[in-house]
Amino acid sequence: LRLALQTTLTHAVWIAASLLFALFGIAPASVDRAARLAIRFATGIVIGGTVMDLESLLGIPWTRIGLAMPMVLIAIWSAAAMPPLSPTQKSGGMAAALQIGTITLLTIYGIATARMTCGDLLYFWAPKAQHFFFAQKIDTEFLKFPHYYLMHPDYPPLLPMVYTWCSIAAHHFSYWGAAFLTPLYLLAAVLAFRGFAAQKIGERRATASATLLAAVLAFGFAEGHAAGGADPQLVMFEVIALAALTFADAHVIAAIALAGAAFTKVEGAAFAAVVVVAYTLVRRDWRRALVLTAPAVILLGSWILFARHHGLLDSYGRGGTRLHTDKLGLVLYVAGFEARYHAMYLPWILSLAPLALARHWGRAVLPLLVAGGAIVYTIFFYLHEPDAVWWIKASAERVLLTPLAALVVASAAASD
Amino acid sequence: MSRETLQRAVAFGGSLLLCAAMVYRYSVLRPPYFAVPATLVDHVSGVEHETRGALILVKQVEPLIPRGAQVTAFRPKNGQAWNDNGVYLTAVGLLPHHSVLPPWTASADLRGDQLIEYVIAVGHPFDHPSYAPIAGFPCGWLYKRR
Repeated sequence: LRLALQTTLTHAVWIAASLLFALFGIAPASVDRAARLAIRFATGIVIGGTVMDLESLLGIPWTRIGLAMPMVLIAIWSAAAMPPLSPTQKSGGMAAALQIGTITLLTIYGIATARMTCGDLLYFWAPKAQHFFFAQKIDTEFLKFPHYYLMHPDYPPLLPMVYTWCSIAAHHFSYWGAAFLTPLYLLAAVLAFRGFAAQKIGERRATASATLLAAVLAFGFAEGHAAGGADPQLVMFEVIALAALTFADAHVIAAIALAGAAFTKVEGAAFAAVVVVAYTLVRRDWRRALVLTAPAVILLGSWILFARHHGLLDSYGRGGTRLHTDKLGLVLYVAGFEARYHAMYLPWILSLAPLALARHWGRAVLPLLVAGGAIVYTIFFYLHEPDAVWWIKASAERVLLTPLAALVVASAAASD
Repeated sequence: MSRETLQRAVAFGGSLLLCAAMVYRYSVLRPPYFAVPATLVDHVSGVEHETRGALILVKQVEPLIPRGAQVTAFRPKNGQAWNDNGVYLTAVGLLPHHSVLPPWTASADLRGDQLIEYVIAVGHPFDHPSYAPIAGFPCGWLYKRR
């Protein structure tokens, strides 16, 4: 019993350590308390990850003291910079808490009973995090070991750095803890979306759309076995970036979230590029588009240079890889088949259904363009593999959550 | 019915449908539904996940392998090593204080010092003249080079 209690406490400390990221983040003044916390959590991950990245580059080992010193300063700055909450800003009350809470509990059930674990957690995210934790840095010797090539040596390191952060706090890596971050990412995405959307479409519509978003993402995570993988973190950043631009013109938040997406998965960089292009087309404001791009370019650019310097370049060095356009039909067929989510395309139908009742299509153009762009780059990535069928079957349900989430944002935006 | 009410009804109705679909999805992933699982992958599909045995066995054999030793892990096929990447990569994460190498380091055509020191055979016995089992568990065996 004592051992079980000790293990449970380790998992709990591990998960609780991830919440510390909320101390380092920033959030706009205009959103409610829950949304603020969610946005601070997400932006705090990017800021914390950047500090860890910098310390690794400078040869400062990741210890509690080494990390605490800069992070305490950032937390003080973040608290001082936080504008006070206006008494008119509500968090949606009991209805929102009940609906979103129930869906989150369903996700927690799926994780607790080992029904939605992502294989990639076991194959490469956990091994990377374990070795980063023991090496107290981004372990380049581990990453470039030829027998670990299947772990994608140059893959963006934000997720293993988040896991390492929690491991440093708990003195232990926790597989269960990694899986249990998924409901936190889900909540952060949904609450931030609700907070931004409420400013444009009102509390009640925002709560309804947030509930739909929570259900679509939770179902996608369960069906695609996403817990512990990178997709929940990626989708959180994507939803926050898109909602910040669609409902609030919160460019700084969007820029940080796009950097987080680009630093989480290779697809995140493509998403950031699509958002910036769509934003430039819709808003015709290239100066702000530059602001949106800058953090992602700096963060990902520095990682690619680092990877190149240490001989890790792989995914980002495949610019000349042949595109198998002759497989387009097959890729479209298999991806289209997997897109049904074993539920007769229910998530797509339900994400699009509110658009049928919409009037304000103008506001939905940006997320609609992003949804289309996300589908195009997903197919584009698949076309680089000569035999992509296994890859599509293993990943489509997770990567298609990006266009699905963008469609829910579009439906909400058009609903006023 | 106002447009707003209709929009909210569509969103809430859709959410309910997706929750029902999620519950159904969980229900087809094998009982028990309220027991603490032994591993992270106990119910991820209708059949046993390729890493389930490794997740249990590697933790059990870890104390028996000296830190820093070279080790590999796989599910033997016809008693032989094969390219079992799922199990091998999982072992890399479970044994951060050891040097985990691919299964071919215990292949049948290697002899003597060419072979890796420890083999974790998951599920089935490993058949190689240069190895002897040093510990057995319900999910497999730990072998050491003779």
